[in-house]
Amino acid sequence: MKILVVEDNQLILRMLEFRLKKDGHEVIVTHNGREAIEKIEAVQPDLVITDILMPYVSGLEVVAAVKKKYPTGTPVIILSGMGQENVVVEGFQLGADDYITKPFSPNELSARVRRFDLSIVK
Amino acid sequence: MGVRLFLTTKISTINRILPFTYILKVEYLVIVIFSVVCLIGGLLVYMLFYIYIKSRREKKYDKWRLISDLLIRKAVFYDDDQVQAETNIPVTDRAKKLMNKRHFRKLLTEEIVSAKKNITGISAYNLKNLYQQLLLPNYALKNLKSRYWHIKAKAIQELTVMEMDEYVTELISFTNNQNELVRMEAQTAIVQFNGFEGLSFLDAITYPISDWQQIKLLQQLAHARPVDMGIDGWLKSANNSVVVFALKLARNYQLFELHDDILQCLDHTNPHVRLEAINFFCEIYTEDTSDALISRYLKEDLKHQLAMIKAIQNIGSEKDVPFLVSLLDKDDHEIKISAARALTKIGKNGIALLKRHADDKGYPLDQIAMHVKGGLPA
Repeated sequence: MKILVVEDNQLILRMLEFRLKKDGHEVIVTHNGREAIEKIEAVQPDLVITDILMPYVSGLEVVAAVKKKYPTGTPVIILSGMGQENVVVEGFQLGADDYITKPFSPNELSARVRRFDLSIVK
Repeated sequence: MGVRLFLTTKISTINRILPFTYILKVEYLVIVIFSVVCLIGGLLVYMLFYIYIKSRREKKYDKWRLISDLLIRKAVFYDDDQVQAETNIPVTDRAKKLMNKRHFRKLLTEEIVSAKKNITGISAYNLKNLYQQLLLPNYALKNLKSRYWHIKAKAIQELTVMEMDEYVTELISFTNNQNELVRMEAQTAIVQFNGFEGLSFLDAITYPISDWQQIKLLQQLAHARPVDMGIDGWLKSANNSVVVFALKLARNYQLFELHDDILQCLDHTNPHVRLEAINFFCEIYTEDTSDALISRYLKEDLKHQLAMIKAIQNIGSEKDVPFLVSLLDKDDHEIKISAARALTKIGKNGIALLKRHADDKGYPLDQIAMHVKGGLPA
């Protein structure tokens, strides 16, 4: 599965990249929302994982952009901090498909990503 | 000799043409130009040297970052699905050697702490193991003895994030530190490690606990299992902020058995304590609670009076209606509106009396009555 990961924390980004690659996915990383929105069309990801709080362009705007570009496909998982329930609700209203609260377990992330892997689902 | 003669002839010729002062000015100009050139040259040399050192340092840091990244990644994904209680995370010889360097240790610690904040489960457990394995808690403990408050606060935060609960005794003394941030970090740490039992620092604390810190502690405790905390003792504390915090705890955990102790807080000398006690009675009360509030009403200022009326609105009964009706004749409109609102909540008799009073007195009571009954937009 081709996954676009959007996260401004370098360390978390590298960990996500490593874990998802280990699970056999193709991973494209971006450090901010603006870069992600620019890449969506070129990359055509099967799944987007995005942080919410990022400089310049927030994760919610990434969700909106993905859902505008691919209204029926490309699921989005949002990464939110503790106590950001309102933002998560807003994310769902924009069309997000799942969310993971930070701090998160890499195993949980793996399991959640697997749910969207159509090759496994089928 | 020939050259010397030539120069002397030339200078004497120039002296004849140009006045002596002019030559002096030229000499000065040459010195100034030379100095500026030297200064620019020196600056250039300094800049080049600085860039060289900086790029060397950056290269070194990049290398270190790579090593620390690999180490953290190894820990996070170490034997993914198994808890390795006894096994050490493999650390390369190079990393071991670098651990002697203070800057590398600082970088690695920061990265481990940052990763730990974002990770849970086995990976977090492995990171904690790595932190211990590299003996990093020892450096944090050393930093606790620093004379700079920010280093102490950072060390406490580090030990908290890394769940080093075995060092709780070392942290307790900092809960009453003269620096507010050190105090806050230590209190947060103790409550995270020991839950409600960690609140025992309230027995001894002499410095005030800020409102923000109280909110943070209550938020932390929301996930802990409540135990008998000895709140009644804190209600008698000489530290007013401890009394306020104890009242918030009593209210949050609906500690009805403290009703009589909290009644005494209504006569406390500190206005914040009295206000928090009034707020407690918005939810926990007996049939006499409203009488206790009414008997103290006149002694209080407007803010407290409004809080009392709000409490009576929640806990009052028909017997409180005459008191509320009497407030409708007060000059302050806020009091009038609050009393009218309370009357509408207490029962049918209250509403009827409000209506009658409004009809008798006319403006502005008739408008207030309409407003609180929803006849007017808020």
